[in-house]
Order: sequence, then C-alpha cells, then structure tokens
Amino acid sequence: MQIKVNGQAMEIFSGAKVKDVLRKFSRAECKLVQKNEKMVCDRHGHEVGLDGELNGGEEFFIKECATEPRP
Amino acid sequence: MKRTIFSSPKIGLFLLALLVVVSFPFCASVPPVPAETRIVIFHSNDVHGKIDNFAKVAAIIEAERKSNADVFYFCAGDNFTGNPVIDQYDPPGEPVLELYNRLGLDLLCPGNHEFDYGLENLEKFAARAHFPFVCANIQAGKILPQLRPSVVLETKGGVKIAVFGLIQIEAGNGLPSTHPDKVKGLVFSEPLAKAQEMKKLRAGSNVLIGLTHIGYDQDVQLAGQMPELDVLIGGHSHTRVDPAENVNGVLVAQAGSDNRYLGRVELLVRNGRVVEKKGTLIDLKGPLAEDAGVKSMIARFNQNPAFARVIAEAPLEISGKDALGSLMTDAMRRVHGLDIAFQNGGGIRLNQLPKKITLKDIYTLDPFGNQVVQIAMTAAEIRGLIKSSFEKGGEIDLQVSGISYVVRSDSAKQVKEILLREVDGTPLAEDRKFQVGISSYVASAYNFAHADPGRSLQSTTADALIRYLQSGADLSIYHDIQRAFWETTAAAPRP
Repeated sequence: MQIKVNGQAMEIFSGAKVKDVLRKFSRAECKLVQKNEKMVCDRHGHEVGLDGELNGGEEFFIKECATEPRP
Repeated sequence: MKRTIFSSPKIGLFLLALLVVVSFPFCASVPPVPAETRIVIFHSNDVHGKIDNFAKVAAIIEAERKSNADVFYFCAGDNFTGNPVIDQYDPPGEPVLELYNRLGLDLLCPGNHEFDYGLENLEKFAARAHFPFVCANIQAGKILPQLRPSVVLETKGGVKIAVFGLIQIEAGNGLPSTHPDKVKGLVFSEPLAKAQEMKKLRAGSNVLIGLTHIGYDQDVQLAGQMPELDVLIGGHSHTRVDPAENVNGVLVAQAGSDNRYLGRVELLVRNGRVVEKKGTLIDLKGPLAEDAGVKSMIARFNQNPAFARVIAEAPLEISGKDALGSLMTDAMRRVHGLDIAFQNGGGIRLNQLPKKITLKDIYTLDPFGNQVVQIAMTAAEIRGLIKSSFEKGGEIDLQVSGISYVVRSDSAKQVKEILLREVDGTPLAEDRKFQVGISSYVASAYNFAHADPGRSLQSTTADALIRYLQSGADLSIYHDIQRAFWETTAAAPRP
C-alpha cells in the first residue's frame, strides 16, 4: 500500500504501522519521534501513535513538538 | 364578512387532518422524553493490553456516576496484543475482561486485534462479558451470539441512544488486519457501505452513535456521508483527537492509544434531540485518584505466573547469534510455512538461552513486538537484501533459515559476490520466487528492492518462537551451527 510521509510517497507492506512507514521514510526521524522530540500528525493535524494502523492512501507529517514532549 | 381559512369548516378539517398526518411520523419516531437530559459517554480504544491506568479510569467514571445518572462507557476495539502480560495470560486477555466487567463497560466494538487469540477464545471472552459486542459489518451467524449490528441504550429518563459498530477491513482480502485463520467462518462487508443501512436507526431513537474501529480518516469520510449521525467514537489509527472534531455536524472522537487517555463525550438532549455536544480527552498520566479495588486487580494481573513457566528444555544452552538466529528463523519459517526466513543481529537481545527456557527468556531475547512480514522474492532480490544488511556494518548481520549464504567481499568490505545455497548445498534457483519471512523492522529499515510490497502476517516474531518451542522442536541442533558466512578475498595487487 502507498502512504505519504512529508509529501513523499512510500510503498510499504500491508498491515504496516505508523512506525514502519516512518522508519522507511527516515530512521533518524523515527528515532526522534520515539524520543518524543518530534511527533507525527495525520492530514487532519491530529497526533497519531507509532503503533497506529494504516490504511492505504493515508498521509502523515513529522512535526516538531510545540512546547513539551508528548506523554 | 371576511373569512379566514380556519373559519371554513371544510378547510379547517382538511388542515387538521394534514397536521395529524405530517406530525404522525415524528410522534412515532421520537419517543417522549424529559425536556432536557445530559449524557456523558466515556470511551477507550486501542488499549492493547496496557491495563495500568484502568484504576484511574475506574475512579473517573465512578465520580461521574455519582453526580449524573446517565453515564456510559464504550470501547472502540483492540484490547489485545501489545502487552505480553495480557497476551500470555491463561486464558489470553482475561485481565481485560475482568477489568471491563468491573468498570461496567456498556459496549464493545471489536477491533481487528480482538481476533488475535482466535475465535474460540473470543467466544469464551464474549460469553463471560457483561456487555454486548456491536458491529454491523460482521456476519457471525452462530459463532458469536453476543455480536449484534446495533443496540439501543436508554437513559434513566427514557432517551434512546442507538449505537452501531463498524470494523475495518483490508482492501486486498476484505478481512480485518489479523491472521486470516483467526476469522474463518465470519463474513465481513465494507464498513462505509454498511453504515448507510444504519440510517434507519435514526427513526425511533433520540441519539445516533457510530462506535467504530476503522481509523480516523475513514471516520471523517463517514461523517461526510452521514449527517444523520450525532457522534462517531472511533479507534484503529491511534489518533489523539482533542477536542473532538465537528465534521459535517457529526462529532468525531478518538482517544489515542495504550490507555494514555480516556475520552469523554458530553451530549445535551433537549426535547428529544441532541442540541449540544462536545468531546475532550482526559490525560491519564498525571497523579489522578485511583480505585483501590481495581488497582489491586491490576497488581495481581501483572504478576502473571506464566512468565516463569518453562516452555521448552534444550540439552545445552543455546549461545551466540548464529545459534540463536538459526533458532529464531527456523521458528518463523516453520510456524508460518515459509521457504526462507531472516533475522537481523540487532534483534537478538540475549547472548544465551538457558537449558530451561521460560516465556520471560523469549521476551528478553525478542522484546520489540516486531511482526512477521511475508514477501515473495527472487534470488536476485534476496541477494540485494543480504548485500544491504552486510554493508550496514561490514559484517554478517542476517541469520537465516531455509538456505545458507556466503558473502564474498574485498578487504575494504565491498561486496563482490553472494552465493545462495539450498540446505542440500545446491545453488538456489534463479527463476522462481521464494516466500521469505522477515521482521517488520527489517522490512522497513533495510534498503532493498523487492517487487512484492509484502504483507504482515499479524503475528510477532516472538510469538513464532514460542509456538515453535511449544511444538516440541528439536533443540539439539542449535549448537555449533552456522548458515551465513563471510569470505574476504585479497585485494588485487596494484599495477
């Protein structure tokens, strides 16, 4: 299935999670999200968890954490 | 004399009849209710076995129940898979069941991971649940008698709340994201299409709610198509929606994942219709009050004795990455019926397994919860994977089952050749595709070309190892074993 991260289309195995497509996009960015230094948001602007499950055609954006690390 | 239309007996009679006819469906569809009712619905989703915050959840719900008669608690699916304490409980998932019964859960929409322990276990779970399962796009027949397309709940004053459930299905196979064997006998249909049939619930109810496990993106689509809805409470995508969004007049809510938040939707029903609605999340990480009884239940569950249980005995300790990697890849290959399996060195987190192997040892050896991913690959693509892995650290990284391989490099560790051999030593066929198993980490972190994008088998690598060990596998072979080799050729002399 195809998922977009920061505007870049990524082909990922079906059943993948947010962390899988993020890791495929950039292992360094994925680590920053795991350390709560960055966060992942969907196309509606809502934060999603790294174990969030994907449907083909979804789009995500890696963002700086605004004020404090997410819980 | 001037006459109004009402002064004409014929016209007046006609208008009276018209008024009765026009108002009849409304009178029939909206039951008489108190002038004003405040309803609070708490909701959880994608708990994935993270039970520790349920003592706080219990205290919050109980406090609300003391001040408001009309409090409900819904779950939008995926309670299992993600915490070995719950997954390895006997029976699996039992702590979640006992906690939800104690907390007074009103409804559960099953998520794809509710099927992970198999239908037989889910049937037992449902039979002992004090709450119904709701999902409109599953036809379960006699398999899950507790499953209903929709239910109608009622407040103390008689306000009727119709709730239907929906579960996600994958575009490819039309099944939820679990192993296909786990849902045999169930028939699934496309959730957004099925939702349209639920519009009929609007008649005869004061509030219409979708309790879904289809992901936030699809919830937004559904809200766009179905303004008849008052609220959608969702799960699956682990989306933190705070405050809940108003989409096309429908309040769309979701409470993140892993029991980090408790969702709270508040509805004001006036004269039988929802006139105000809002949704927020309660962050559970702070120092909140806890229900002492629930807290002690959680403490008991966390002392799961299954972890100390010996699940297999080896004649000798199994030591080193070659032996441990061979064991892990044999497990992946045999349990899932694959041709070849690979395990990266970084995913082997113990140097040695003891002779008496416990569940705790397995989760220490393989703690990441990586899924097994199946990809159809040619020999050339397999070489690409091995080359990528070797070049990451300039050494053998991938342990293997089903074949052996040799990496030939120059002294600068530049790969010159990769030889692939069947178990009997013959070269691997170049003209066929092999079903290869790798972890979701390797599938996503390693850079290698493969025409087949692959698919998760919705089972972890640790689970494969546990099943392999419990099947009575011969562990005597995992000593002095090596299947991946590296040969360095001398650099060519400079001219």
